[in-house]
Amino acid sequence: MRKIWLIIKREYLTRVRSKGFIFSTIGLPLFSVGIFSISLFLATRATDHTLKISILDNLGGLSAQITAGLQGKLPNGQPQYNIVKILDRPASGEEARRQLNDQIRAGELDGFIEVPKDVLEGKSALFYTRNSGDFSSMHTLNTAVDNAVIERRLSDRGVHIDDLTKLVHGVDMTMVKVSKSGESEEKGQTFVVGFSVVMILYMTLLVYGVATMRSVVEEKTTRIVEILASSVKPIHLLAGKILGVAAVGFTQYLIWGTCAMLISGYGSSMASAMRPGASVPNIHVPTSLLVYAGVFFVVSYLLYASLYAAMGAMVSSEEEMQQVQLPVTLIIVVAFLLYPVIMRDANSTTSVIVSMVPFFAPILMVLRIALQTPPFWQIGLCLLISIVTTVGIVQVSSKIYRVGILMYGKRPSVVELMKWLKYT
Amino acid sequence: MDAIAIDRVTKRFDSVVAVQDLSLRVEQGAVFGLLGPNGAGKTTSLRMIMHILVPDEGSVQVMGQHASDQTQDLIGYLPEERGLYRRMKVREALIFLGAIKGLGEAEAGRRVNEWLERLELSAWAEKKINDLSKGMQQKAQFIGAVVHRPALLILDEPFAGLDPVNASIIKDIMLELRDMGSTIILSTHRMEQVEMMCDAICLVNHGRSVLAGDLRSIKKSYGKNTLRMEYEGDEKFLQRPELVEKVNRFGAVVEAKLRPGAEPQEILKAAVAAGVRLTRFELVEPPLNDIFIEKVSEANA
Repeated sequence: MRKIWLIIKREYLTRVRSKGFIFSTIGLPLFSVGIFSISLFLATRATDHTLKISILDNLGGLSAQITAGLQGKLPNGQPQYNIVKILDRPASGEEARRQLNDQIRAGELDGFIEVPKDVLEGKSALFYTRNSGDFSSMHTLNTAVDNAVIERRLSDRGVHIDDLTKLVHGVDMTMVKVSKSGESEEKGQTFVVGFSVVMILYMTLLVYGVATMRSVVEEKTTRIVEILASSVKPIHLLAGKILGVAAVGFTQYLIWGTCAMLISGYGSSMASAMRPGASVPNIHVPTSLLVYAGVFFVVSYLLYASLYAAMGAMVSSEEEMQQVQLPVTLIIVVAFLLYPVIMRDANSTTSVIVSMVPFFAPILMVLRIALQTPPFWQIGLCLLISIVTTVGIVQVSSKIYRVGILMYGKRPSVVELMKWLKYT
Repeated sequence: MDAIAIDRVTKRFDSVVAVQDLSLRVEQGAVFGLLGPNGAGKTTSLRMIMHILVPDEGSVQVMGQHASDQTQDLIGYLPEERGLYRRMKVREALIFLGAIKGLGEAEAGRRVNEWLERLELSAWAEKKINDLSKGMQQKAQFIGAVVHRPALLILDEPFAGLDPVNASIIKDIMLELRDMGSTIILSTHRMEQVEMMCDAICLVNHGRSVLAGDLRSIKKSYGKNTLRMEYEGDEKFLQRPELVEKVNRFGAVVEAKLRPGAEPQEILKAAVAAGVRLTRFELVEPPLNDIFIEKVSEANA
């Protein structure tokens, strides 16, 4: 037992300390949080002072609507825009523009909007400013002018803007999920939760399965395995390796999970601060789903990790590893690709059958549980099939592993593999 | 009590018999040479001693106990093909190897430091194995084999790839460990190393022991039947098939194996008569190299 612990510890520590792990685990969330924060910071930063602007309205009568569209407030409560001056149909547009430009150059003004005379016919409005990088202001100003022009065009045809808004207002359709516990409004959470759980299972099996195999191949190509085999029982070595890699995965998910919670907490508080009253869809993950996902995950991880380890033990080089991993990877990919079958109708005969197939069972049954909890006997049967498969595969894999780690040269044929199973 | 007692061991892989009815004993405190051509069954035998493989028939005893998980910790092993965890730091990797052989980690740490000091690797202790030169990696791996001070040390080609200075350091450590009571099994194809270091040998071929025992008695049993010579001149004087069975040229040194009953004086006379200038003319026991070749080709014939 002490030796298994040493194997786990070595596997865990060398992986957790590796640059790759630090980069992927700590770097990735920090990077996303960083990007998120920086963009938020910049977005709020962009308008930290009141912009002094003027409106040069060559058409006339639009400035009231435009001003109405520029009533935003800064985080500190100050207005976003201070309309310094409104020039409604000046005698000379040329002259007025020149004066305003002079004011911008003198720093008395941040910018001015020029509405051309034939704006209603589709001519562009202009915004004169020194700071040509302020796209968020540009967007607000554009919307304000846009709305003012639309309103004018409508009222010219005798339509009031409010009437139109009422007329073109669409109808929403809400999906209601009916389950034993009652009806609940469906905004796609079930899909999101189901898909996420399956995606996580799929990625984890693939990433950490392959990591286990790499570790086996590394020990084999460097021949350390000969020293290890002369010190530890191969089954202990294999167990230590699988558990060590699993612990790395667990650590990674723990870190990511924490970060995700922080981000979503931060994100939704940010969202509600920026848009009060906006509802962030509340995603609820049932505990029973988590428990089932956990149980099936453990079973399937053991299955695939031991299978990958056996594949690793068959080869003598990194290049060959690419080839032997393919069949195992393919099984996982196929299991994953079958998810639309379940998504369409989680309780169809096809769904029931594919979710019972060994190797696919863990991923697909978890998806079914997430979508529409199947009868308990199906879950139980599936779990039984999975456990039996896993126990069988672990036994076969550990035998292949035990023989394979000491064999070099040509990769064994299937016939040779069968013989390996009989070696003592 | 013998360090190793292998008794009538047979190991098969399917139809292939890797080791057949092999018996051998290694005295405690000896340097024992396990010899044999490639594929003779040496690795399989060593793996049975290390309890990596279990014999189909017969028994393997290490330090008086049946080979088991417990006896594994008594053995230190330097495999022929070297390698350590490339991305681990030297010190850390060696502590792991010590711990896996039963040392506490603190104790392993102390000993690793001592050994690194002794083999002049201290400056590299916190470097990754990958950053070490090949020779340094070899030395580090040697530490891995001896750090738990094994009663039985199995070394497979321990000098391969080492320069003369490092080879000599490793050789001194081997002999020192032997003097402290460790038994050493040396598996190598370099016969001159065996001649210099081993007390006893076992030559295996096709899974069987074809020659075993005390090295000196083995050589004595062949008698002094080989002429070792250095000379300048025509080598025609050696072309006497009735006297000389075989001539082996090593550049400066020439060895001639005499036929049974052949008189070395006859050859000396012929050399003098031919005007050859002899600087060395010595009657010796056959070199182990010749015994090896003879025994193996005999068995293959």
